[in-house]
Amino acid sequence: MMVKEKELLGLCSYIISTGLKAGATAVEALAQSQNELETDIELSEISSVNQKIGTEIAIRLYIGKRMGSAFTNIPTKDSVRDAVGLAISAAKVTTEDADWISLPQPQAYTTIEGLWDDGIAKTNPSEVVDLTGKLISKAATSEPGLVLIRGGSGTSSHTSAYTNSNGVSCSERGTTSYLVEAAMAQTESGATPLVVEYDVRRDLSLDMEGMVKRVADWVRICKTKVNGRSGKHTVIFHPQAYAPLFGYTLIPSIRGDNVARGKSKIADKIGDTISSELLTLVDNGIIPGGAATSKADDEGVPRQKTSIIEKGILRSFLWDTYWANKMGVKSTGNARRNMRQGLVDISPTTLVIDSGAREIEEAITEIDHGYYILNVQGAHSSNPESGDFSIVGNPAFLIENGKIIGAVDGLMVSGNIYEVLNNIVEIAKKPIKLFSWIGPEFVAKNIDITAKE
Amino acid sequence: MLDILEHAIDKGRNLGATYIEIRGESGFVEYIQMEDSRVAALTQRLERGVAIRALADGAWGFVTTGNLELLDKGVSDAVAMAKAAARSRKEPIKLAEVRAYEDVIKNKPKRDPRHVPIEEKIEYMNQMTKTIRDYDPRVTAVTIKVRTSSGTKYLVTSEGAKIQSPTLLVWTLPWASGKDGIRLSAARYEDATTDEGWEFFERIASPEVIGTAVAKRLKQQLDGVAAKSGVFPCVCGPRVIGTLAHEALGHLAEADITMNSSFAGKLGQVVASEGVSMTDNGIDMGRVGVSKYDDEGVPASRVEIIKDSVLTELLTNREYAAKINHRTTGNARAESYLFPPIIRMRSTIFELGEHSREEVFEGIKFGYYCTDFRGGQAQTNASFQVGIQEAYEIVNGELGRPVTDLSISGIATDSLYKIEAVSKEPFPYDVGRCGKGQEAFVSSGGPDIRFGAGGITFGGKS
Repeated sequence: MMVKEKELLGLCSYIISTGLKAGATAVEALAQSQNELETDIELSEISSVNQKIGTEIAIRLYIGKRMGSAFTNIPTKDSVRDAVGLAISAAKVTTEDADWISLPQPQAYTTIEGLWDDGIAKTNPSEVVDLTGKLISKAATSEPGLVLIRGGSGTSSHTSAYTNSNGVSCSERGTTSYLVEAAMAQTESGATPLVVEYDVRRDLSLDMEGMVKRVADWVRICKTKVNGRSGKHTVIFHPQAYAPLFGYTLIPSIRGDNVARGKSKIADKIGDTISSELLTLVDNGIIPGGAATSKADDEGVPRQKTSIIEKGILRSFLWDTYWANKMGVKSTGNARRNMRQGLVDISPTTLVIDSGAREIEEAITEIDHGYYILNVQGAHSSNPESGDFSIVGNPAFLIENGKIIGAVDGLMVSGNIYEVLNNIVEIAKKPIKLFSWIGPEFVAKNIDITAKE
Repeated sequence: MLDILEHAIDKGRNLGATYIEIRGESGFVEYIQMEDSRVAALTQRLERGVAIRALADGAWGFVTTGNLELLDKGVSDAVAMAKAAARSRKEPIKLAEVRAYEDVIKNKPKRDPRHVPIEEKIEYMNQMTKTIRDYDPRVTAVTIKVRTSSGTKYLVTSEGAKIQSPTLLVWTLPWASGKDGIRLSAARYEDATTDEGWEFFERIASPEVIGTAVAKRLKQQLDGVAAKSGVFPCVCGPRVIGTLAHEALGHLAEADITMNSSFAGKLGQVVASEGVSMTDNGIDMGRVGVSKYDDEGVPASRVEIIKDSVLTELLTNREYAAKINHRTTGNARAESYLFPPIIRMRSTIFELGEHSREEVFEGIKFGYYCTDFRGGQAQTNASFQVGIQEAYEIVNGELGRPVTDLSISGIATDSLYKIEAVSKEPFPYDVGRCGKGQEAFVSSGGPDIRFGAGGITFGGKS
């Protein structure tokens, strides 16, 4: 059902020649075809099997320095010709962008193993249903009172192709599979927060046992409700908590477009220490098994590994072609295209935090009074420019005398992300893999906690 | 399109499904993003596709495709997938009985966004950029997003529903950044209509009105003082109380969430202070999020979630109405043909109370007046968080200095009892986009509402 790489490349090449004939001076096309199969769980039963089949084609072209873009979901020559027409009309009436220099130039790609799995590509609905059925029965016996609210499993295979009028031409294919479990339990005073865990792979080696156990362990702790205490405390951040928090504060500030536009507080800090020397952060677009790992970004630029923070020192920002050209640097292969909206912006791939020496359990034993934040509410309401945030840790656990003793409702965590970076006192040993982050928990001191009275 | 969909339903009748629903969509969609007067994206597209949902043997199968040639195959795949899913179910999914409507709904935008010249749209964004930059010399960057769409959606079901309705959206979101010394900050604003055409940007959301709204908030961020952390009495203005209605309470009243949330089993019980009423109003035509029928073809209705402090009704779709023996409220909405319909809010508000504005603020020695939000999020344990981008100190009942970014939180089931006064003054609505796996445009609002100390916790620096 999926359109093959060769056919997508053919359509992309047709778009380039049609665009140039119609008067464009530079043209690029990105085509993606996908076949997704998923099952949904609602209230501990399989509610639905869903299939999404489709092709998306995004076109961006320039007439001189005027840009226009278009989208179509119909992979035929007629349809893409019409779309080129829309992009040309848009480019004719829009304003000139004096800063635009060029689309990407051809570069060599490295071979990345493990992006495609035949097993995933051949999955049928019954197999996905069976996998989800297994998840439901395992979850049911994992912890008394645990209710599996949502979740399921799914597989996805896709092909994509990119070409432009500078001679860049590349195509690739990939597969992913996933399992998700979102569960909670009723308590005497109401309900526990929802605990969510998942596993994403490029093949079918999903770790269901591990996921179900993690959820059960968290839900068990959530059942014991305890009170927190306001003040400055030591806080452990799980990747599920710091991924969204960094995602709405630190990460916007390392995006090249924000650096160039004066929207990043650390724009002039390359080479400076911006965090505790314990922190090393890399954007790794070619990490084996990464959900975002691919041959090329959405502009056909090879993916790469980019050091962002090395032992506390800011090393690099992330770039796409437009902003790299404008600022006289090289694209780091981080272009992301919103296919339907036509916007190309800068996005990280897999962000990796280097591991420390000790297991988190050892660090916990040394905390007299502190908090373990598993997930957060409201990270998206942070101020990306100032780095200020004020969020609710939920689920959040109280640590007393070296032990996690229960969950705290309504625990607010506030501060500035750059202060948090400087207050990191330990990074745990065991990396935890999320969709776009791989990293262990970290421990930070002097974090402002406001507990509900 | 209706005929094609009907034909596909007919062909699917003998496949053994108890219910088949096909939603079709075709229309014009446009996205423009301007960054510091540069057009960063300008995409027009003609979007067309279908969503097929089949209920067979008590489970759902769902197929979405942009290729109408695959319609018949999509129907048989959806039925086959439903049957595969059904093998594992103990309790079959049933749908509440509803009348099948046939209707053609028309709208009359004065200026259909698809026919407004691109030059005019760019000029609108240029004017807004100028308004923001002229407002304060400390403005460093301006991003403006404009989304418009205009098209038709179709619903045909095996029960005989046949509804054609318009889709319309005119939306803008400016984001302004500023710098004062080493202090960087930013503010956002958002407005939209799903009822008018481009004239909305001329009549109401002009570049000057929207540009000033965001620039004013940025100025306050740069000039404001930091919020204290802790528990204070506070008054939430219409834009914040609306977000609270949506995040803190509305989500808990969505039947698919209620069954296990802190509202579980509380129907008919007092859940709030005296005089508190909250509604999801599906018949306030013209409001963002409101339409005559939902995406299952059920007529929209007004849902009194909390009436005089009692949890009275929940928001349902046909599946949950049958499951919990509740009436259908017409709250099944899908972002587009790429998604199945799920239970969503429409226009969610706190109803007017009996207090004058003076009474609402009276006697607060120190507290906060929260007037605009940056975003919010709810959790099943009734914990809510709302990021606040515009707030003022209240000192001895009077408004004081503006405050920089802060956020408020609470446990909804506790906070509702801490409401001390509800204003009787009419209020403006605000527009938002709610994410529950898919996007829905919603509106919300409410009068100034005062919470006593302990109802709301303020996150800040201690």
